[in-house]
Amino acid sequence: MITPETFDELQQAVRSVDRVRVRGGGTKNVLSADATISTEKLSGILEYEPSEYTFTALAGTPLKDIAAALAENGQFLPFDPPLVEAGATLGGTVACGLSGPGRFRYGGLRDFFLGVRMVTGDGRVVFGGGKVVKNAAGFDIPKLVVGSLGRFGVLGELTFKVFPAPATWTTIRAEFPDFKSANAAMIRVAMSQEEVYCLDVEPTGAVSIRIGGLGDAQAVRTDRVRSLLDGAQVEISTGEAEQQLWNDIREFRWVPNGHSLIRLPLNPGQVETAEKLLAPQAGPRRYSVGGNLAWIAWSDSAAADSLLTACRELGRKPLPLIGNWSGGVPSAEAGGAFETRLLDIFDPQRKGDLVPS
Amino acid sequence: MQHDIPTQSFGPLGEPMADAIQKCVHCGFCLPVCPTYQVHGEEMDSPRGRIFLMKEVLEGNVELDEATPYIDKCLGCVGCITACPSGVGYGELITAFRATSEEKRERSVVDKTLRKFILETLPYPGRFRLAATAGRLAKPLKGVMPGRLGDMLDLLPKSLPPAQKLPEVFPAEGERRARVALLAGCAQQVLAPDINMATLRVLAKNGVEVVIPKSQSCCGALAAHTGAASQAKQFAKQNIKAFPPNVDAILTNAAGCGSGMHEYALWLRGEPEESAAAEFVKRVCDVSVFLEKLGLRETPSLSAPTKVAYHDACHLAHAQKVRSQPRALLRTIGNLDLVEIPSGDICCGSAGTYNIEQPETAGQLGHQKAQNIASVEPDAVATGNIGCMTQIETHLREVAFGKPIPVLHTMQILDRAYRGEAL
Amino acid sequence: MSAEQFFAELRRIYPADRLLTGRAQLAPYESDGLTSFRARPSGVVLPETQQEVIDTVKICHKYEVPFLARGSGTSLSGGSVPIEDGLVIALNRLKRIIRYDAEQRVAVVEPGVINTAVSERAAVDRLYYAPDPSSGPVCTIGGNVAFNSGGAHCLKYGMTSNHVLGMKVVLPDGTVEQLGSDSLEGSGPDLTGMFIGSEGLFGVALEITLRLLPKPEKYYTLQAAYDSLEKAGTAVAMVVASGLLPGAMEIMDRLSMDAADAAIGAGYPKDAKAVLIVELEGTSDEVEAEKPRLHKVIEESGAYIIEAARDDEHRLKIWKGRKSAFSAVGRLSPDFIVQDGVVPRTKLGHALKEIDKLSEQYGIRVANVFHAGDGNLHPLVMFDGRQPGGLEHAEELAGEIIRLCIRLGGSITGEHGVGLEKRAYIGEMYGEDDIEFMQQLRRSVDPLELANRGKKLPSAEAPALTSVGAHPLEKQGIISRE
Repeated sequence: MITPETFDELQQAVRSVDRVRVRGGGTKNVLSADATISTEKLSGILEYEPSEYTFTALAGTPLKDIAAALAENGQFLPFDPPLVEAGATLGGTVACGLSGPGRFRYGGLRDFFLGVRMVTGDGRVVFGGGKVVKNAAGFDIPKLVVGSLGRFGVLGELTFKVFPAPATWTTIRAEFPDFKSANAAMIRVAMSQEEVYCLDVEPTGAVSIRIGGLGDAQAVRTDRVRSLLDGAQVEISTGEAEQQLWNDIREFRWVPNGHSLIRLPLNPGQVETAEKLLAPQAGPRRYSVGGNLAWIAWSDSAAADSLLTACRELGRKPLPLIGNWSGGVPSAEAGGAFETRLLDIFDPQRKGDLVPS
Repeated sequence: MQHDIPTQSFGPLGEPMADAIQKCVHCGFCLPVCPTYQVHGEEMDSPRGRIFLMKEVLEGNVELDEATPYIDKCLGCVGCITACPSGVGYGELITAFRATSEEKRERSVVDKTLRKFILETLPYPGRFRLAATAGRLAKPLKGVMPGRLGDMLDLLPKSLPPAQKLPEVFPAEGERRARVALLAGCAQQVLAPDINMATLRVLAKNGVEVVIPKSQSCCGALAAHTGAASQAKQFAKQNIKAFPPNVDAILTNAAGCGSGMHEYALWLRGEPEESAAAEFVKRVCDVSVFLEKLGLRETPSLSAPTKVAYHDACHLAHAQKVRSQPRALLRTIGNLDLVEIPSGDICCGSAGTYNIEQPETAGQLGHQKAQNIASVEPDAVATGNIGCMTQIETHLREVAFGKPIPVLHTMQILDRAYRGEAL
Repeated sequence: MSAEQFFAELRRIYPADRLLTGRAQLAPYESDGLTSFRARPSGVVLPETQQEVIDTVKICHKYEVPFLARGSGTSLSGGSVPIEDGLVIALNRLKRIIRYDAEQRVAVVEPGVINTAVSERAAVDRLYYAPDPSSGPVCTIGGNVAFNSGGAHCLKYGMTSNHVLGMKVVLPDGTVEQLGSDSLEGSGPDLTGMFIGSEGLFGVALEITLRLLPKPEKYYTLQAAYDSLEKAGTAVAMVVASGLLPGAMEIMDRLSMDAADAAIGAGYPKDAKAVLIVELEGTSDEVEAEKPRLHKVIEESGAYIIEAARDDEHRLKIWKGRKSAFSAVGRLSPDFIVQDGVVPRTKLGHALKEIDKLSEQYGIRVANVFHAGDGNLHPLVMFDGRQPGGLEHAEELAGEIIRLCIRLGGSITGEHGVGLEKRAYIGEMYGEDDIEFMQQLRRSVDPLELANRGKKLPSAEAPALTSVGAHPLEKQGIISRE
């Protein structure tokens, strides 16, 4: 594994290997095993101007460092990335297209990613997007690489948009007697004007709702959210306990040992079907982002195929991230004509070797 | 927009045309409010497209005959003027364009005949009454008539109300608060003489004496909007002479006439009467504007609760910017619940002689309007223009709705309320 | 294969009234919202089904005829100006909302659907489609997708690409493909995002899946008057620093206030040099809590009049004034060029001062309206095209403004796109290699360069605008100006 320390070295590295697979923080072992290039030394925030709401950092910068720098100025990453404490890097998070539960409020990673300098699969350095919050010039290469699993090349420098962080957070956790009524409550909250940050449902019938904002309004807003919950039993958390609650969710501390972690996009209308399909064999799971994303723990002892079948039935591609997953990476499969034609320019020799076979 | 129009070669109308074109920045804000664009969804049938076409014709890049089908499709509803942020004088442009291009147009024989028939009949109540009676008799023959004449027959009512002779002066009741002159209108006198009578009664009730000059003629709008410039000028000159100077206002109770009279200065550009026309225009206003400003002496009430939908006649709302006054008057009426019509800004398709010249588009718009009206389930429709009334009545009949919905002039509704009647 | 055969094939799809070839039928399609450019197409088709669009693209590909798909033609960068002798595919009749699902908060629409029609459809569920370009009641979603249109509320919610989840598209050779899906979260590369803003170069969107948001419960709109533009610019930075996240922050200068006043009687303070519009939005309790903070910041920023919208009607009037400002400038000047540069927000004050200097130096009036929250400037450079050299002089100034934005680390376009108008500058924002790379991407997707040829990227047969003298396309007879 080559560990370049400068952008030039990164370019040379890409040119020198036959097979490009990148490892950042190594937090998603399914995708970074057998990597040929490490971005570990390509780390650091290059520019951060709080009043611009933007920063530029190298791909190997740990999210932890970024979150800390932003927090000093009362700002945060609104797409709420997972695995921050585990050591995930900015580049790896982009390549996997990962956003956390809080993306429900303002948008996902794709919506806050403004510009990229990268080395293409054939070793060229290209720049796409811009460094200002609004830009309509050129092709939107930053969007293209979100979730691309490195198939277009290696990310070098990334520019992001950030927001001021809410002053206080409150989480309302409601227990419903069954999944169906929990799911109905989720839809009600999603359609309401309450502007919640997180909206997660668990198979047990628990709905977790996170609101944020000025302290003065939290009590009234909490009551309003409660009024949408059909009188369900609720538990309210604030302060550090509340922070910890979501940290544990984002760090996947709820995934038991001997399980792989799988990410699966959905739409809210599919949640009930998905739960029916998954319930027989899946381990713990969460339906997050108002029913737009499922996080599934899948036991090593369960057949990977039955999960893949369920996903196919839902018409969605799962992305395995962590564990001893044996079912391949369907999200890495070749795309259609549009993608192929773009790839012909980014990586004509198809050096971007997406996942271990 | 930049242009290369040889302004001088179009006489006194060259400048206002060039001015309107120059102001257009082609932003497209006129598209959503244009009835023909709504129906056809193509640029040539939008105000912006027509402005571009007129420019091309005036510059000599496009043959007039190629452009006229699209220019003709314009209803002249001037909804685009309300929507235009740049202040393009679209009404002036199209009227002037029609006037300057008419003599160069090659019209078919049927077209010429129909046009001549319209221009020599409609503006003259006597002739129109005669023709309408004949037309009514000809209704059974519709099948053998050429298309557009047949369509024309469709619009004629089953029976004509008896003619009512208008007095020369209609005195105020009680203490006189004002003295005005009234334009009697042509088609309106034949199709719905009650509008004038209701107007006179309502004005009288409010202490207004009304003079109806005998020597007045048609307002000329019909002629102007079909490009018959010299006829329009003649009417305008006659009316400027006919209406006395010693009245508080010159009132109209048909939106089309009111907006036409507001254009006198444009029509008479470069004529000796131009400045007199400009003065005249300042005194013209719709009866609803005058009454609302004067204030109703007592508030009338209908005998039963009635839901009334107000229809904005384009030539009131867009051309004269009169929207609030008729609504305000109607709201003062007891037992009357005023409702708005969805997409109320869009023309009903009547537009003077439009339903005769462009029956297909007019039909679609009329149908749309009737559906929108029916959707709010009113007991009656109020409006300020005879053309709209005829068109809406015709199309409301087609829209299945159980009960007939009468279409009345705002003055008729006030009149009935003063008499304590129902609608 | 000849043009005759090409049209014969089109005639098999389109009846005469949907295949326009007459001079008077084509003329109104010659330009868009930027009238300095005109080009005459050989025909205009008006498809009514997606299949007709697909078949049309295939025929264009077969006969190698360049095509432009357009909506309402409101582009301010010349993006929907036809290709000389190419085909125009006017999508205005494809205006069905195919699917509307309030519970999933998505709408699937055809490209000819008008921007505001989506929010109108969703209003019954108190949902809306967030991107709000000033031309919202006119422009189409298809055009918004092509140009990644923004609007006044981008600061908080982003642009078109942040609200499109998936699309069915036809590539320039007729291949039909589904990109993205109806989920907020994607899998695999974000091809939807890549397609958006490609200015039609990657093909035509046939079906667009939009994300809908709950309409904010409460808006609090405030107008503040300043005695200098710079103070208004500083106020923006102060609001941002305060930790508030307003839905919109807009600045208008004196000239644009005059124009909007003339157009709709917006009623701005007569002696103000700049007015700042700030809008808070959200749940009513949150907005109530934010209000005093906002007022405090605005007071400290040196505003001498602070006026909050009294009610919904007043709020709409404030916005109508702001949104009609572009077109209203038509009342002040026969012609104008709208610029769309972006500068880092902290350099707003500096940029405005520089623009002022340039305006004086060139002796050309420049009105400024801009999305201050995003640092997105819209200087309106006024000129009279009938005066010899008027346009060239104005273009030169506009070019200097664009370069100023690049120098300050910004962008040549925030939301109008590159179109025809800004192609000379894209090479200054991106390096030569980056441009070459984009060219390659384009040619890989569309080797014949049929889709909206001559836009967005400088290319051999359609070189970029220069800021001085006759347009190179003009010299080559590819376009003509009035």
